[in-house]
Amino acid sequence: MEQSMSNEAAGGNPYRIYRVTWIILLFITVAMLGAEKFHLPRGFLVIFLLAFMMVKAVMIAGNFMHLRYEHRRIAVIVAVGILLTSLILLGFITPESYSVLSKTIR
Amino acid sequence: MDGTHAATMEAHWGGGVSPFAATWQKTMMWIFIVTDGLLFSGLLCGYGYLRMASTTPWPETTKVFSIPFIALMTFILITSSMTMGTAVTAARLGDKRKALNNLILTILGGSAFLGCQAYEWSHIIHEGARLTSNPWGAPQFGASFFLLTGFHGSHVFSGLVILIITAIRSAMGRTPAQGVEMAGLYWHFVDLVWVFIFTLFYLLPS
Repeated sequence: MEQSMSNEAAGGNPYRIYRVTWIILLFITVAMLGAEKFHLPRGFLVIFLLAFMMVKAVMIAGNFMHLRYEHRRIAVIVAVGILLTSLILLGFITPESYSVLSKTIR
Repeated sequence: MDGTHAATMEAHWGGGVSPFAATWQKTMMWIFIVTDGLLFSGLLCGYGYLRMASTTPWPETTKVFSIPFIALMTFILITSSMTMGTAVTAARLGDKRKALNNLILTILGGSAFLGCQAYEWSHIIHEGARLTSNPWGAPQFGASFFLLTGFHGSHVFSGLVILIITAIRSAMGRTPAQGVEMAGLYWHFVDLVWVFIFTLFYLLPS
């Protein structure tokens, strides 16, 4: 990792990546807040918010946590570990919650 | 770890090439982050379950919270992540003064975030929100809010303690660059979790 970072640093200001990431994150946050004001269709708004949430997460993990400089195995463990578990949990939870909801309403 | 002890440890290591091409400290930190990420993943999925299975309407967060205030908290946390990243790189490049200054800025940012969260909690409690009830709609809303933001706030608090210790030790010249990097990884993780809470709890429409 040190090698990759110093290679990047040799090309210019080593702190630039944090400032650029910070500006992009702020821009995305403002866009997410602004989207609420435009009265977009609910489904579209949800997809928009979730997509930008993932972009922000990837930028923080990649640029701030330096995951993109790490060995690919670490990135795979982090991404697969957290995302897959969340998807499995959601996969079980979503039908269950609707079934609870329909039983309660009946 | 002194040189002799390090050499002894080296001699006992029989695992061949490090599978992650990283020091054991960093590998362990990443494994910790994954496990802590799973904790928050479970909490957020539980929140999703409560929200989807709720028979009473889920409160409109725009009516309950001041979204500009939450946006300010997000701004503070993202900014503190930028200063933390700068501190890590400065420590790595041997610029101790810059590393320390940015660590202090990160601590100030984290403290401001916690202050904002304390204000938000007291405001919401004053409005009548409790773990089991609230005046706006689905009773599970209160439990979800206090659990998610409470767990995150406790992580911010522990992150602040780690950062203060790291800053003091850095000022004394006793923390190597890797120590600052480990503290940074934890702090960025706290920021990362907030991205999910901010979107899924505060912004997602009812």
